[in-house]
Order: sequence, then C-alpha cells, then structure tokens
Amino acid sequence: MLTLVIGGAASGKSAYAEWLCLQSPLPRTYLATMQIWDAECAARVAKHRAMRAEKQFDTIECPRQLDRVRLPQRGTVLLEDLGNLTANELYSPDGAGAHTAEQILAGIEKLTLQCENLILVSNEVFSGGADYLGDTDRYLRVLAAVNNAAAARADAVVRVVCGIPVYYKGSETQ
Amino acid sequence: MLFITGPLYSGKRTFAQRFGGRQRYDVQALAVAAADLEALADELAACDVVTATEVGGGVVPADPAERAAREAAGRLACLLAARADCVVQMFCGLPTVLKGELPEC
Repeated sequence: MLTLVIGGAASGKSAYAEWLCLQSPLPRTYLATMQIWDAECAARVAKHRAMRAEKQFDTIECPRQLDRVRLPQRGTVLLEDLGNLTANELYSPDGAGAHTAEQILAGIEKLTLQCENLILVSNEVFSGGADYLGDTDRYLRVLAAVNNAAAARADAVVRVVCGIPVYYKGSETQ
Repeated sequence: MLFITGPLYSGKRTFAQRFGGRQRYDVQALAVAAADLEALADELAACDVVTATEVGGGVVPADPAERAAREAAGRLACLLAARADCVVQMFCGLPTVLKGELPEC
C-alpha cells in the first residue's frame, strides 16, 4: 500500500504520517532526507527524532539516491520528505539534476517492492504565488511532477489541514 | 469554538459574521510573538469564532524570521483545530466542514 501525505508548513503532516505508521505492521523504518546545513536544520531533525522516540522506528539516512536504498526489513516505511529529496538532488553538485523526478520516482517504485506499506510525506509549496523564476521555478516544477506522479500511483492521497486529514483518494481505513 | 481557516481573502470573516458571539480574526498574526502557543490557543478557544489565514502553502521563505512566523502560524492553527468543536476551510467564499458540525447561525 502506497500513501501520499501532503501539507504546508507546520500543517501537522509529519504527526499524521507517523500516526498512520503506528496503525501499520512492524517493523518500522524511517527514511530521513534532510541534509543538515545549520542550527535550524539540526533543531528540526531533533524535533522530528523526538516525535519518533519510542515509536520503534529504525532510521536510515537518505538525503539522495533513493533508488539505491536497500531496506533491511519489510513492514512499514515512512519517507520524509519528497521536498527535501528533490532539493538535494537538484542542487547538490553530484545530484541527479535534470533527472531528479525520474530518479525519485524510480526510487519510490523500488521501495514499494521492498515493504508492505510505504508512506510518503511531501510538501504543499504551490499556493504562495505564481511568478517564480530560475531555480525556484525549476524546483516547483520538479516537485510538482514528483507529487503528481506519486499521487497517481498511490492507493491513498491525504492532505493535512491544521492537523486534520482530508482524503483526496482512498481512505484511512483501507 | 468554530475555527475558520483558508487562503487570503477567501471569505473567512464574512462567513464568520453569520454566527455572532465573540470573534477574533486573522490570529495567525499573533503566533510569531507568542511565548506560549498552547496558552494562546487556550485563550483563543474561549471565543465563539476564530479565523486564521493559511500562510504555510507557499515556497519556503529564505528569511529565517519569515520561516519562523509561518511555522508558528501553522502550529497555532493545529492547536486551534484540535480545540475547536467545528473546523471550516474556506475556498472562494465556499465553506467546507473538516471537523464537527456548524453551529446554528
């Protein structure tokens, strides 16, 4: 089962995605995508680690090259998040660059074969304006391509609005 | 408490005013300066109707203070939605109930 959880900044999407994982069978694997650049990143990582504490997640660091991840166990996998992964592939000197969307989507496809439940967290960053240029526009186009393809492939798509899940496809009790 | 969220100029206040009682508008602006978001949410939850503009759906700002303001606004909205009897999301003036039932007008 593939679920896409999407929401804006501090929408409660992480907390909801983790709650979904807790309803799903063990073992639980967390694929962490954030590259730690500064204190703000470190604080965010610490906050999310605290949220996962005692929830029996094994963490795998995966800031890039999702298609090379080999899961040591089946069960439930939480990938957080597609926005970071996209930025890392697009902007790292040795990232996937122009092939970012296809590489991430290939990675998602491979993960679905290695687990029972894959829960993807992604970012709603498309509602703040429409006149972006250069790198920002490129990022938005690539992330939208990833989100839309993942949503098409997913069994369930849920947008989290101030902590409330709103299903656009499938349902919570699938 | 009825909590009404939605994009800028989506008709939140106009919809809120159907209901009367004690109302607070655009509370997302209060979040960034709040020392304690839980306490602020408790205080606001004592109102009958609270509205907040969704500000977390755009490109992540380069400025750290703007990022912090968005994060605080989003957190406050989650706390208010958890406390609300009814949550409504407005879109082009149209309400969608996300939680509970609308109170009598």
